[in-house]
Amino acid sequence: MGNASMDDGDITRELWQSRIPICFILSDDDMSKVNRSELPEPLYLMLSRHLYFPCFIEKIFRYYSTYYKENLADTTNHLSIHNLWLEYESIPLKWHYPIGVLYDLYTSSLTSSTCHLPWQIIVHLSQFPENELIRFPDRESIEAYYMSTLKEADALKHKGQIIGDMQKRDHKQLWNSLLQDKYETFWNINMKLMSYTDNLLYFRYIPYRIYLLDRPYLQKLFAPYDSEHDRWMTLNDLVQYSLNHELHCEHFANGKKMLNTNVNDYQVIIHGVQPPLHTPVQWLSEYFSYPDNFLHICLVEKRT
Amino acid sequence: MSAVEGDENESSANALNSAGNNEDNTGSARSGATNDSEDGSKVVFLLKAAGGAPILKKKKWALPRARTMGHIVEFLKKYMKLDAQQQQQLFLYVNQSFAPALDTTIGSVNDCFSSEGTLVLHYALTQAWG
Repeated sequence: MGNASMDDGDITRELWQSRIPICFILSDDDMSKVNRSELPEPLYLMLSRHLYFPCFIEKIFRYYSTYYKENLADTTNHLSIHNLWLEYESIPLKWHYPIGVLYDLYTSSLTSSTCHLPWQIIVHLSQFPENELIRFPDRESIEAYYMSTLKEADALKHKGQIIGDMQKRDHKQLWNSLLQDKYETFWNINMKLMSYTDNLLYFRYIPYRIYLLDRPYLQKLFAPYDSEHDRWMTLNDLVQYSLNHELHCEHFANGKKMLNTNVNDYQVIIHGVQPPLHTPVQWLSEYFSYPDNFLHICLVEKRT
Repeated sequence: MSAVEGDENESSANALNSAGNNEDNTGSARSGATNDSEDGSKVVFLLKAAGGAPILKKKKWALPRARTMGHIVEFLKKYMKLDAQQQQQLFLYVNQSFAPALDTTIGSVNDCFSSEGTLVLHYALTQAWG
């Protein structure tokens, strides 16, 4: 934060441009049903960290379906875009988590090797895991989900006042510029969502989610400024508070694995990097949020 | 779906709303009363109809924190005896504004969006709030 050559706007632009190279490989099971002599090569795509897999589902499906041309009419084959799902290390990937969050959470936690690029993901065209995953939605549903998340973020930051006052075309502009990779157009509107209301110099509460393996994400009410002690709350404060609160809630639930509340036992990862724990969360919320205005924080236990 | 119970007894719901444990190790400025399910007991919430959805006789419900929004949706589909078409379109809204992802826990929705001790969810058969 004291770097003279880069200002905060450069940071948001850097984040906007971050991508992950992904190698999509067809599952063995689906590979065996290909009825051409030539088997599909892996599909390599460079995807934006802050987008969602369903944004690319048509592209992925189109690529693989060419290998099943003769089979498409065969209704017993169940080959349909609705049955497409993605897997990493036996984990079905949730479509509504940003791509970067899935990468940071799973590759840091699960793979023993230190090099995770390109990220190898298995594509399944059949045997959809109904009990574990909701089917990938169409474009409109992803847009609706994105808008819903934005509204939730604004509800926390500004009691929903700013997004509520926006025109529908502003909402559309946010989503479209996100899809079309238009940073300036996006931030023209998004900066309104980063402003302050009610004579405060900060957000009422910080929109954030903390992801850990094997449990639902944590989301709590957390204010960025402690007026009683005239103190800006830090990333460390936020993570510590969330872990303590969750442990307290779980304390009375039976059979749960005890949550480790020692922040130092975790890597705290946002956008693939570990921000210093003393960073004020107000700053992080303004400059390090995803385009959905949430801070998506992955906690990965450090290997001993 | 025996896990979802109607809580007919006002006073037991109020017991859940009692101040409970507000200690805060990191000095975070939490404000406002919350529907305090932090002692592991159930989250109490009201279900209100919107967008032309059928009105439920039983409005007050209670669920353990870890139950998801999807769980409530599935329950409502059966409880309201929706036909196949209606089942496609059952939405649950918070703050009359947004629909959380179905794997969101009622505990976290409650922690963030209950107001004056009560969490209100609106259900609709149309996208009432987008």
